[in-house]
Amino acid sequence: MWTGKGKTAIVGIGYSELTRHSQKPLGLLAIDACRAALSDAGLQSEQVDGLATYPELPALGAGSRDGEDIVSVLYMINHLPLAPDIRWYAQIEAGMIASPVIESVHALIAGACNSVLVWRALHQPRGRYGAWSNTRAAGESQFMAPYGCTSIFQWHAMQWQRYMHTYGATREHLATFVVNSRRNANLNPRAFFSTTPMSHEDYLASRWIAEPLCLFDCDIPVEGCVALVLTTTERARDLRHPPAYVAGYGQNTSRRRTLFHYALDDYMACGASLAQKLWSSSGLGPHDMDAAELYDGFSPSTLYWLEAAGFCQRGEAYAFIQDGRITLEGELPVNTFGGSLSEGRLHGMGHIAEAVFQVTGRAEQRQIPGAAAVCAIDGSPMLRGSGLVLTKEA
Amino acid sequence: MPKEQQPKPLPAVDDLTRPFWEAAARHQLVIQRCQECEYFNHPPRPVCDACQSQRLTFVPVSGRGRVYTFTVMHQPNIAGFEQDIPYLNLLIELEEQPRLFMVSYLPISAKANIQIGCAVEVYFEPVDAEITLPQFRPV
Repeated sequence: MWTGKGKTAIVGIGYSELTRHSQKPLGLLAIDACRAALSDAGLQSEQVDGLATYPELPALGAGSRDGEDIVSVLYMINHLPLAPDIRWYAQIEAGMIASPVIESVHALIAGACNSVLVWRALHQPRGRYGAWSNTRAAGESQFMAPYGCTSIFQWHAMQWQRYMHTYGATREHLATFVVNSRRNANLNPRAFFSTTPMSHEDYLASRWIAEPLCLFDCDIPVEGCVALVLTTTERARDLRHPPAYVAGYGQNTSRRRTLFHYALDDYMACGASLAQKLWSSSGLGPHDMDAAELYDGFSPSTLYWLEAAGFCQRGEAYAFIQDGRITLEGELPVNTFGGSLSEGRLHGMGHIAEAVFQVTGRAEQRQIPGAAAVCAIDGSPMLRGSGLVLTKEA
Repeated sequence: MPKEQQPKPLPAVDDLTRPFWEAAARHQLVIQRCQECEYFNHPPRPVCDACQSQRLTFVPVSGRGRVYTFTVMHQPNIAGFEQDIPYLNLLIELEEQPRLFMVSYLPISAKANIQIGCAVEVYFEPVDAEITLPQFRPV
């Protein structure tokens, strides 16, 4: 078991507004989220001496202007009244959104700083999401673009097709998950789709994006930011809300992470490389989780995570999610806040925030009674990914 | 009047991939292979994916394979393909090695003949003086 277990905690969460396109520049949305997180924690911004973010561009063809398309550590240093002496910062683009949280945990345990602000700001450029407009395709894309196959959802669609063929899953099976997520989002006032219901029939009637994936299998891109405040367990006890202790973590460290290795075997190997570390560091396992917040940039990813992280056997997730098992009242509630599909595409920050709310008893209408341990895993199991186990007790 | 479509994207041929595209222009399918461990790598890589050797060369392959999976693309997301939607993309597993994948394109009219596991073979689609695309269709 990891010696750092329970030594740090997430003590504050802040959201900016989540809209399709904001009137505010992204930098100001990030400041809104950071101020809200600090206020939630009961800390002054002058007490923050550590900063971390995952600034990656949200989409192909987006620009990289600081404060417009991304929000860097430097931007935050220049725009928030932080501690006069920032003692530590990190800007990370490997792994996924839990990765800057993991580095913050390391920094706190090492004594590099006392309080860390972590944010992820997502710009939603105008125009079609992830569109390809180059006339020449370089690198690996020269074997994809000339064939009209550059969009990440085409690769997800192909692997879901393979999964359906291999295990006998159908769209009806997947509908159960997507509709359940929407039901949870309808109990989440932050969610982009908080007031929009979705029926099984609505799902089946939605238009194709890349068969067998339809519009509602894709997360809803939003503009906005979520911020978290982390501190040591000692300091956390004096703050406003109960802390969510960081019990363990894992990152995807598998090889063969390119689009051309987007086969189901690789999904599972990559996912397992993360999950193995998640469970061994925390000394907990899938059966100890009171809920699971599993990334759903495209809906099948959550099913792959259920299998790769050991919540069920390989090839069983589509059956596992049926019969109410993943509802708020079920044996393993999944994506209790609506996920990226229905809360909005926040690259896994929403998943971490919800795990915090659940283990600290702050999930309101969505609260799983007595939730003591919840995992949040972000990234589709391929290419990238990072995850946390958060607990009620240190 | 439909808006004029920009041409489909073409490969930006580089030092690593030039032997592949030069062979395709001669209507020959070649794949990068490791001279140490004989593993096939596609797309071409600077080091072998199996043994990390840098002794890599290109060798002709059969051009036969099977449909590992496929999708029907409906979004006009890729400049040059707007008027082709819906269309098929196939992920072909070449017979030389498990999970040795290539991507291919077919018009939607071919859909009835495409299933996971069906046998396909390469054919060559000339685009311009430099570029010919290897494509696959059912045998």
